[in-house]
Amino acid sequence: MIELLDPTTEAAAQTVAYAARPDTLAGKRVALIENTKFNSDKLLLKMGEILKQEYAVAEVKLYHKRNASVPAHEEIIADIKKSCDLVVAGIGD
Amino acid sequence: MPATLTAKRHPIADVGDAIEFCFQQGWTDGLPVIPPTEERVRAMLEAARLDPKQEVRYVTHRAVSITAEKVAINAVMAGCKPEYLPVVLAAVEGIADPAWSYHGPGTSTGGAAVLMIVNGPIARELDINAGDNLFGPGWRANLTIGRAVRLVMRNVCGSMPGLLDRGTLGHPGKLSYVIAENEGESPWTPLHVERGFRPEQSTVTVVASNGPHQFYNQLSSTAEGILATLADDMRISGNVTGQSYYCVVLAGEHMRTIAKDGWTKKEIRAFLHENTTSTHAHLKRTGRMAGAIQPGDETTLRPLFASPEHILVIAAGGRAGAFSCYIPGWGSARNSQAVTKEVKR
Repeated sequence: MIELLDPTTEAAAQTVAYAARPDTLAGKRVALIENTKFNSDKLLLKMGEILKQEYAVAEVKLYHKRNASVPAHEEIIADIKKSCDLVVAGIGD
Repeated sequence: MPATLTAKRHPIADVGDAIEFCFQQGWTDGLPVIPPTEERVRAMLEAARLDPKQEVRYVTHRAVSITAEKVAINAVMAGCKPEYLPVVLAAVEGIADPAWSYHGPGTSTGGAAVLMIVNGPIARELDINAGDNLFGPGWRANLTIGRAVRLVMRNVCGSMPGLLDRGTLGHPGKLSYVIAENEGESPWTPLHVERGFRPEQSTVTVVASNGPHQFYNQLSSTAEGILATLADDMRISGNVTGQSYYCVVLAGEHMRTIAKDGWTKKEIRAFLHENTTSTHAHLKRTGRMAGAIQPGDETTLRPLFASPEHILVIAAGGRAGAFSCYIPGWGSARNSQAVTKEVKR
């Protein structure tokens, strides 16, 4: 009998608190975070238009990451917290 | 009293079962691994005089803490000798550095491997190959050190091929991609000294990289002749307009011809920077730059590099043969930079 040591990350249990989901999109302010890849801004702005026209979203605001390899930076997260109710983020690739 | 190892333990009947068990758990890169037993893991940690709980680095982008114990376990599995561990640790520090930017090359469809260039005395002490068959096969240190780093990425950081690691094509360097600079025969300043270290320090430079491209010039007897071939081969390579890092590996015959003409690494970089530009018109016609061709595009030049400093020039490879190679970096230098870390002993 031999014993093997586990090579994988054994993360300590943690809980993540999700923000409450809105009942409706009507009147909400939506942040769009684009990752700087080609056409990702166009795709998100198109989604923004649909959100406004079909779901009565009040306004959309486009944010740019510094580059595709990094998480969204503090400044834009702080601004989104102040001025938006919802976020759409994704990868344009 | 030695420090306690805290990794979860898996009891297994025998060694053959253990190898198969590692496959079944999804812990391997597709090749068999050495079963990570406590005795082997302890020998690894002792060689680097590390406490198992010590945090090697925290990868912010992955929210993962990489501990010495987990690096040692993966290094055992990769087949490393205990004395290789300090090199593995330096490379892990490199890929966890925010400048390397794990979130991109650890996941990208673009197929980034971790090219690891070892400099300083440790390369000779550990017999890290800088000569014939530079990229393999044949040298345990080259193949197992890089493999250990890749297993850490997979098992600790979560870069599982097909899941988080979505490389469209990948390449064989994603198994292991370790080379040393041939400082013994090189006429040039070693890479680590150019990057601010002392010659007697040992370092690992990590570069998110695509595969090596061999180029041929068996005709020229001048530096300019060889580098003209290299520049012409490089001009349309890699991400082309992405302006990534590049590594240029000059092997024996080419190294001697270029050195005979007295060219320094700085002069080589300047020549390559100047001679690898493409016109905007060509880049647009060939689908590498967006948009319609505008007046002036036929004469507007796009450099392959944002800076000549993004070309890492090293001497390595076999003595015979009029071949050298260049390695396009992954993506762009904005998204991932080459990082050099000292091997601590």
